[in-house]
Amino acid sequence: MNTVVKCHGVSRVYDDEVAPVHALRNVDFHLEPGEFVSLAGPSGSGKSTLLHVIGALDEPTEGSIEVDGVSLDGLKARELSDLRLEKIGFVFQAYNLIPVLTARENVEFIMQLQGIDSAARRERAEEALSSLDLGELADRRPNEMSGGQQQRVAIARAIVTNPVLLLADEPSANLDTNTTKELCELLTRVNRERGVTILTATHDPLVMGYAARQVTLRDGEITDEQRATPEAT
Amino acid sequence: MSLAKIGQLAWRNLWRQRRRNLTMLVALSFAVMGVIFLNAFLRGLTAQMADGAINSMVGHVKVLQPGYRDDPGIARSFVLESEWSPEIPAGQLQGWARRVRVPAVIMSERETRGIEFIGIDPAQESISFVADWTVEGEQLEGPGDRRILVGRSLAEQLETEAGRRLVIVTQGADGRSREAGYRIAGLYQSEHSALEKFHVFTGIEAAQALLASDTVTEVSVRLTDEKYQPTVLQSLIATFVGLNVFDWQTLQPMAATMMQLSDAMIYILFIIVMSALVFGLVNTVVTAVMERYREIGMLRALGMRAGAVLLQIVTESTLIMIMGVVIGTAAGGGLCLWLSDGVDLSAFSEGLEAFGFSSNTLVPTIMPADLAFVVVASLVMGVVASFFPALRAVRLNPLEAMRR
Repeated sequence: MNTVVKCHGVSRVYDDEVAPVHALRNVDFHLEPGEFVSLAGPSGSGKSTLLHVIGALDEPTEGSIEVDGVSLDGLKARELSDLRLEKIGFVFQAYNLIPVLTARENVEFIMQLQGIDSAARRERAEEALSSLDLGELADRRPNEMSGGQQQRVAIARAIVTNPVLLLADEPSANLDTNTTKELCELLTRVNRERGVTILTATHDPLVMGYAARQVTLRDGEITDEQRATPEAT
Repeated sequence: MSLAKIGQLAWRNLWRQRRRNLTMLVALSFAVMGVIFLNAFLRGLTAQMADGAINSMVGHVKVLQPGYRDDPGIARSFVLESEWSPEIPAGQLQGWARRVRVPAVIMSERETRGIEFIGIDPAQESISFVADWTVEGEQLEGPGDRRILVGRSLAEQLETEAGRRLVIVTQGADGRSREAGYRIAGLYQSEHSALEKFHVFTGIEAAQALLASDTVTEVSVRLTDEKYQPTVLQSLIATFVGLNVFDWQTLQPMAATMMQLSDAMIYILFIIVMSALVFGLVNTVVTAVMERYREIGMLRALGMRAGAVLLQIVTESTLIMIMGVVIGTAAGGGLCLWLSDGVDLSAFSEGLEAFGFSSNTLVPTIMPADLAFVVVASLVMGVVASFFPALRAVRLNPLEAMRR
């Protein structure tokens, strides 16, 4: 199997009125199939930036990135868009479901973008929702669900297309402790049962505790990397 | 992504801001209704103006001797074979009339007036206002009737009445003055008091007898539809070599100009009203887009292509426009239908008469081409208006959009 993510010498510099901001400095990072990795670090450490460049939402100023064997260098906006659609699942901080669609429709939506036929869409959406115990919420719209429920639907949407990589950016930012635990257990289940590779950017120790590998960034550089003991996971 | 899904998303998005979009919808509906009704009203006015011009003994096409328009008289007449009739396909010709029309002076015992003395064949005059007049007394019975019909207004000026005699003085074909006494068969009343004051009718043979001529001064042809006019005009030009053949627009330039002006007014009115609304629509789309930057960013991040996002936003405003056009068209059409018996404009009769209107009742007329223009132009304006705010939205980097 391909290494899911290969980052080599990745830097990201933002232009600023005062001075350039080095969000990432010469980062080398690999992610192997089936891993559950957390990116930790204080605000401004570059964890979200790394997540975004890996997710083809941002371009590195220097260095190269490969996702599932595909180099992101030189890809056009449309090709990047297709790569995100086909290979990557996203879970954002603020749930980011489409407010006018029900939970089922939100999950189906991503498959519609892929051009999957309606019968298959329906079946896969039902399966994804029930595997995350969301069957009874299928017909609810986001404003009829709690934050935790919305985030679970966002995970269902992210995994329903069987992506090679699931990127979660501060997934617990708006959740209480119990809901965060439930969410992390769900991510662990998805990782173990479906073999989905997960990379999450978080500053929440609770979320970090569920990851098999914890990568710490500071000032745009990887400063530490730890693997959890089997007991801890 | 399927158009059906984009349509569904757009439709649901519309209801997220009900009050704002309903307000926009109501404004659009009123504007479209107003434009359609005003178009129909203007079309009714111009149709009536054209009808009045054609009806006032002009017809669609008229044959005259060169110089007659500048110096009318029997000296500028022409011979028309008694068996002549226009060679116009059946279904195109409503009727035709030959006339003798000369300036004259009419005298009663008390008053004298300058008039136009017109010899007609009453049977041929179904093509002019003669067919619609009401006559107090008796009608002319045929081309040989030697009596006269005088307008009620002129009779009042001359202080005379049906059955009395009047003297008419004019110039004969030989250039010498001719005069004769005529008994008034009846007093006619038309919608135009100007016509009543100026036109005095008799049988065409009686007029020719007075003028000592067997010629006519004009042949007027009325068609069932103006679209046949150019062909008929050319046909009559070929027939009457050496004579002038005019269309009604040449003979009634003011009415023709007013019609052209009305055509322009229809488009100007539409552009003004709809432009104002398009600004409102742009504002609505811009606001909707700004409120949903994060959502648009998320859709792009998930892999929705820029074109699909653009199409979705444009579809939203197009849906509002379609609803506005449908409601406005139905309301405008309904209003015209409700007023299909005509709008009473008798309070403005004098002013309208000066512009050549033949009736005090105006019937709004919806032209399919106007309707198609309003519908298509509204939708095009709606799409164009929303395109640029939508384009701006999809050009945003997904990440930037989600951070807003």
